[in-house]
Amino acid sequence: MLRFVLHRMVQMVPLLIGITFLSFVVVDLAPGDFFDTLSMNPSISPEMVREMKQEFGYGQPLPVRYGRWLWRVAHLDLGMSVAYRVGVLELIESRAMNTVILAVASMIFTWALAIPIGIVVALRRGTLLDRSLSFVAFFGMSVPSFFLSFLLMYLALETGWFPVGGTTSLDYPILSPLEKIGDRLAHLVLPVLVLGTGGMASLMRLMRSQLLEIQSADYVRTARAKGVPEWIVVSKHILRNALNPFVTLAGYELGTLLGGAALVEAVMNLQGLGTLMLDAVRSLDLYLVMGSVLMSSVLLLLGNLFADVALTLVDPRIDFSHLEAVR
Amino acid sequence: MKRGFALAACVAVALVGTAACRKSGEERLRRGDRLVTATISDPKTFNPLLSVDAASTEAVGDVFEGLVRLNPKTKLPEPVLATLWEHDEAGTTWTFHLREGVTWHDGAPFTADDVAFSFDAVFDPRVPNSAKHVLMVGGQPMRTEVVDPHTIKVMMAEPFAPLLNSVGFDILPKHLLGQALKDGTFTQTWGIDTPPEKIVGTGSYRLVRYVPAQLLQYARNPTYWMRDEAGGALPRLAERTTLIVPDQNTMYLKFLDRQLHMYSPRPEEIDDLRARTEELEIALDKIGLDTGMLFVSFNRNPAHYVKDGKADPRLAWFTDSKFVRAVAHSLDKRSMIQNTYFGYGEPAVSAISPENTAFYNPNLTPYEYDLDTARRLLDEGGYRDRDGDGVREDAQGHPLEFELSTNAGNQVRERLCSILKEDWTKLGIKVNYRPLDFATLVEKLSTNFDWDAMVMGFTGGVEPHASSNLLRSSGNLHMWQPNQRTPATPWEAEIDRELAAGARELDPQKRVTHYWKIQEILHRELPMIQLVRQQRFIAAKSYLVDFVPTVWGVYQPERIAIRP
Repeated sequence: MLRFVLHRMVQMVPLLIGITFLSFVVVDLAPGDFFDTLSMNPSISPEMVREMKQEFGYGQPLPVRYGRWLWRVAHLDLGMSVAYRVGVLELIESRAMNTVILAVASMIFTWALAIPIGIVVALRRGTLLDRSLSFVAFFGMSVPSFFLSFLLMYLALETGWFPVGGTTSLDYPILSPLEKIGDRLAHLVLPVLVLGTGGMASLMRLMRSQLLEIQSADYVRTARAKGVPEWIVVSKHILRNALNPFVTLAGYELGTLLGGAALVEAVMNLQGLGTLMLDAVRSLDLYLVMGSVLMSSVLLLLGNLFADVALTLVDPRIDFSHLEAVR
Repeated sequence: MKRGFALAACVAVALVGTAACRKSGEERLRRGDRLVTATISDPKTFNPLLSVDAASTEAVGDVFEGLVRLNPKTKLPEPVLATLWEHDEAGTTWTFHLREGVTWHDGAPFTADDVAFSFDAVFDPRVPNSAKHVLMVGGQPMRTEVVDPHTIKVMMAEPFAPLLNSVGFDILPKHLLGQALKDGTFTQTWGIDTPPEKIVGTGSYRLVRYVPAQLLQYARNPTYWMRDEAGGALPRLAERTTLIVPDQNTMYLKFLDRQLHMYSPRPEEIDDLRARTEELEIALDKIGLDTGMLFVSFNRNPAHYVKDGKADPRLAWFTDSKFVRAVAHSLDKRSMIQNTYFGYGEPAVSAISPENTAFYNPNLTPYEYDLDTARRLLDEGGYRDRDGDGVREDAQGHPLEFELSTNAGNQVRERLCSILKEDWTKLGIKVNYRPLDFATLVEKLSTNFDWDAMVMGFTGGVEPHASSNLLRSSGNLHMWQPNQRTPATPWEAEIDRELAAGARELDPQKRVTHYWKIQEILHRELPMIQLVRQQRFIAAKSYLVDFVPTVWGVYQPERIAIRP
């Protein structure tokens, strides 16, 4: 097992180099660069734009720039953002907390609701409950998240139940610890609802179809025929066998965790990494774009690895030992 | 199933709980002696000299001060760190007398050394900044000479009238940044990762807290030098908070939710706000017209038209005064205002906004919307529909057809383009509208010059010399034909001369005539056909006292107070 993990880790290196090189080329091929907006500003002289380009090493050939970037990355330095003149790593750090809280909260929300609901609708297939929840699920999947954000914000404005945007209220620094938690939670409700809705629907549908498929399996029928109590049938025979795709999914979510919510972040004024990266791509802030590409790729690859390892734990049929044998 | 319900119930209880704890918006907003505003994006730096975007400039606007600042009421420079100034006979040496008793936020005294240092930083070749090229006079940097701790001389190669409108840049503390300038790390100082208490200025507020993507918080500078008439301490408000709200719709919702004391509404929000002034306890003020310009321009750069030795007919049309005048008469500005600004705007006549009362030339006769005149001018110019297909042809039989572009995503400009297309079709001109992304647009304007007609805009300040990059024939932003070695036309040469003369003329009355002349030439030759200007509004809580907004900024913002 350890050998397998190490093997995969080593494989990640050329993969990451490939991904980042391609991204570097794509950003470079995109028309224009960060300095275009500056050059159309009457109060900024062309000399100043030239000086700034020089400062950030623009104008060197692409392989040289990429090589330099890679060399710095190898030393855990992600370079400097052109727009902010601050290290990319510091920028990402300063925004990461919001995004992590949001991502974790919406993941908990999604999974904690979607799985039980999925089970319920699968067991009550064809009933009104199934059909109405499925309808809600499709609705949730098809409503664009930015639109839902606005809808909920408008609701918050009209009712005054929830804060309109932001992560904390103005008086946050002077609140008591308990109030602080409440304040944070109140600000989390709407974005989590928006982010959770889309994911919840697909997760619930997946759970439902998984269960339905397994329910007709021979061993389930056998178990039921033997008179095994229903809750044991569901929890032991059906659920365990339905788990595999969810483990894989959870692994993928690690990768999308940090960058997935840009629109919702922008609308709900929760700026985190999503908006930071969106802005970086829009303004062609090269090193910031590269930093975020690198970070999400690493997370995606790690997530996959975790998922594979977890799969061997939940499903005895999956075994990587033969890989070790081959070597 | 039961568990699901239990969970849902828990969530519901938690939600209702948090909802119940929430105070009413007004209560939250009025807590304490503070002003809450919003800005659209994060600052990129706290070093005022390095900022190239409005958000960064705004973020430290109250933290630092310049020698002078613009008085938005008189549009003249008023004393800040300098109390008095005079120049010698030749106008090349200016003496600034500095305010005494001013201290930096950390307690160090402010002296002429700080001013000299700030000029050094501006002209340091390793520090890219936007003040530099404005302050280069006759291609030479200015020199400074410290006379005594409260007097400094600024010397330049030739008389420079825009000086007072240009020396408003923020003065920086030598005792904190001197070393960084010396060892070349200046461009990395005072980035947004710097702890707020280290950002030290002389201004009315200190930066105390910055939460990226959330807010900027300021506390009153207790030792600020300014007093009101009664000798009371300024600024009046103990705290200021600027929320960072990257989405304009969200910002509006936040204002409606009573999270902000003021808001600049977009035209489409005006009627809604007007209907709710009582409910929201706000006053909605018309503060004036936009200070920038919005225009359509034709490419007059021969480089674009001569291909394989053959001249393209479009160059002849676009440089034909009959053609451009016909276009000027074809602009339905009323419907532009209606469609882009919901009625809240004015037709633009001059390149300079009427709000710039010091330099605006009120004597220009507007080109009225008159399609008959436009048709007559086109007929006179030999542009007639010879084959009856609805599109006019020039004398050589080339149909009048060209491309119209603007930067995609700018809704106002996109709507203007579609109205232009409609108007021009009525005249028998075929227009292919093509929105471009910004980078492509910049490439076309500055590198390959491959465009026909373009709707563009520039922001504007009080000082017209700041537009010289655009107006001078050798300017890189001289859109219609940039970077000319020698002026291509007599009138461009005339503008060059007037610009140079305007910069040298120290008598304000005489100086104005040069910029009036430039406006006349632009109005006659129409290299930029001015379109419309938006009417600006500000909505603010009616309990704000001494809040005087203008299109040039807030008048004496340190006097703002909140009526209990």
